[in-house]
Amino acid sequence: MMTQPSEIRPDILVFKTGLRHPGEVSRVAVLLESLDGILKWNVDLDDCDRVLRIEAVGLSCYDIIRLVSQAGFLCEELED
Amino acid sequence: MRLRDENKRFAIREKALEMIVKDGFDGLSMHKLAKAAGVSPATIYIYFKDREDLILQLYFEESIRMSDATLKNFDPEMHFEEGLRVQWLNRAAYCLQHPQRMYFMEQMRHSPLHDKFREFGTPFVVAMKTFVSNAIRRKELVPLPVEVYWSIAFAPLYQLVKFHMGGKGMPGTGNFELSEPLIDQTLELVLKALKP
Repeated sequence: MMTQPSEIRPDILVFKTGLRHPGEVSRVAVLLESLDGILKWNVDLDDCDRVLRIEAVGLSCYDIIRLVSQAGFLCEELED
Repeated sequence: MRLRDENKRFAIREKALEMIVKDGFDGLSMHKLAKAAGVSPATIYIYFKDREDLILQLYFEESIRMSDATLKNFDPEMHFEEGLRVQWLNRAAYCLQHPQRMYFMEQMRHSPLHDKFREFGTPFVVAMKTFVSNAIRRKELVPLPVEVYWSIAFAPLYQLVKFHMGGKGMPGTGNFELSEPLIDQTLELVLKALKP
């Protein structure tokens, strides 16, 4: 992983997903970890929106939505 | 791109603390919190990974806040009597000024989440350990198992604080208000018990 100068904060991307259990999360995990620019990510399965939260540099919401949707799960930006 | 706003983060965490004190940990969900704090769930996720992350960050920050308040004007090199008095006054003042923060800390200590939190080696723990070992070395304090020490040195104070916060003393005795003379009277007895 590239070290970022401290003044650059990663973007935080937040999505509502259709992930239901840890097994499905690990299927997405493989894909997410293949993507350059993701620093950290987690899925909050306790939340009703199964929120996928990503800290990334140089990635857009669209990149993530395409990836997760291709794996067959709902993924849309959680709007403010 | 979402930007961090520390004021917003503070408002969210204060609301979370309030909800945990009122309804317990189970009463807190990211959605309920968003509603209560008047922000969207997405905003909360900017600052916190999930519920557990939020609670642990909250606990960490509250520990620091409490430790700073408790260590004010305190020096672990102090004579045991003087140091314990400073501790008592600081702790009482903090509890009376911030009852919610105190209840929150109390709840955390009895929660399984507490085990995920490492407080060994924090400035507060180090200061307290140094204070006690200095006092034992100088023969100002009897050596005791730490639980026994704490039960004598601090539990009486916290019981008085609880009476005060409840607004009443023992059943049937009416109102109770904690005052500095009462603190000193109790502290004197505690010091007598702890003297070698």
